[in-house]
Amino acid sequence: MSGEEEENAAELKIGDEFLKAKCLMNCEVAIILHHKYEQLQQTSDDPMNQVSQVFEKSLQYVKRFSRYKNPDAVRQVREILSRYQLAEFELCVLGNLCPETVEEAIAMVPSIKTRGRAHDDEAIEKMLNDLSLIKKFE
Amino acid sequence: MFFHIVLERNMQLHPRHFGRNLREHIISKLMKDVEGTCSGRHGFVVAITSVENIGKGLIRDGTGFVTFPVKYQCVVFRPFKGEILEAVVSMVNKMGFFAEAGPVQIFVSNHLIPDDMEFQSGDMPNYTTSDGSVKIQKDSEVRLKIIGTRVDATEIDKNISQSRPKWDPAGSHPSRFFCIGTIKDDFLGVINDPTTI
Repeated sequence: MSGEEEENAAELKIGDEFLKAKCLMNCEVAIILHHKYEQLQQTSDDPMNQVSQVFEKSLQYVKRFSRYKNPDAVRQVREILSRYQLAEFELCVLGNLCPETVEEAIAMVPSIKTRGRAHDDEAIEKMLNDLSLIKKFE
Repeated sequence: MFFHIVLERNMQLHPRHFGRNLREHIISKLMKDVEGTCSGRHGFVVAITSVENIGKGLIRDGTGFVTFPVKYQCVVFRPFKGEILEAVVSMVNKMGFFAEAGPVQIFVSNHLIPDDMEFQSGDMPNYTTSDGSVKIQKDSEVRLKIIGTRVDATEIDKNISQSRPKWDPAGSHPSRFFCIGTIKDDFLGVINDPTTI
């Protein structure tokens, strides 16, 4: 596909469709997939037979790699990250990887520095501190 | 990365299903047809979360089948080049290792593993630093960067998928995503190991 050559998530070049789409953090996906699995359990004796391998693998993955388990904490993470002018994609990478230092955050999401939105180190540090507070009190 | 997006699909139904349970039948057929599929454009459809709208049915000339345009919301997983994510190592050999992030498989070549890590064969093949402090083996959790993605159209003649019909733009032709990745950059590598960062 010729479009793929230009793709680069590090520069937020992920295509208009995905730039505008709602992005989901692993912990948010875990809530959605778990809910769906529970619904299936009510209507069938063997829910595992009803779901695709893609669903199963995704559910296992997001359960394993969710930084926040409590739904309230998950909501708070999104709320806090939404205060800093981030693209949906950037917000979710940060929420998934939970970088501990400003240097790490910039390495994980290089686009926060390059898109001319004046994210100075102080703002990034404050954001990371706010995130880690949620983790402490989860 | 996971996304919540709206997709459209034309569902074709045999008249025997017309009746009280038409809507339920359309939805259950939609789930059977779409969940678990993968396309180059949207990635893997993990789960349909809701049906937004089912349009008026159109009778197809000559067959009697009816086509319903269905708009639905779903969770998809779409990997991007340049994306950094966490994955579980599934296999290790001297060429590198395979890792899985949800439905996607990622291969990290030994050229893109830090030079101070060496392959060790045996019952549990692994890559280990010379001082033994960091080890990558089956079931290790690693943070990696995707450096390339490729979609394979399986089963379908590629010539057909080039001229996609308007009603099914890159929709549900059976295909799979493969990725290659690296752990050579800063802040990449084994997770939960305090010595790697």
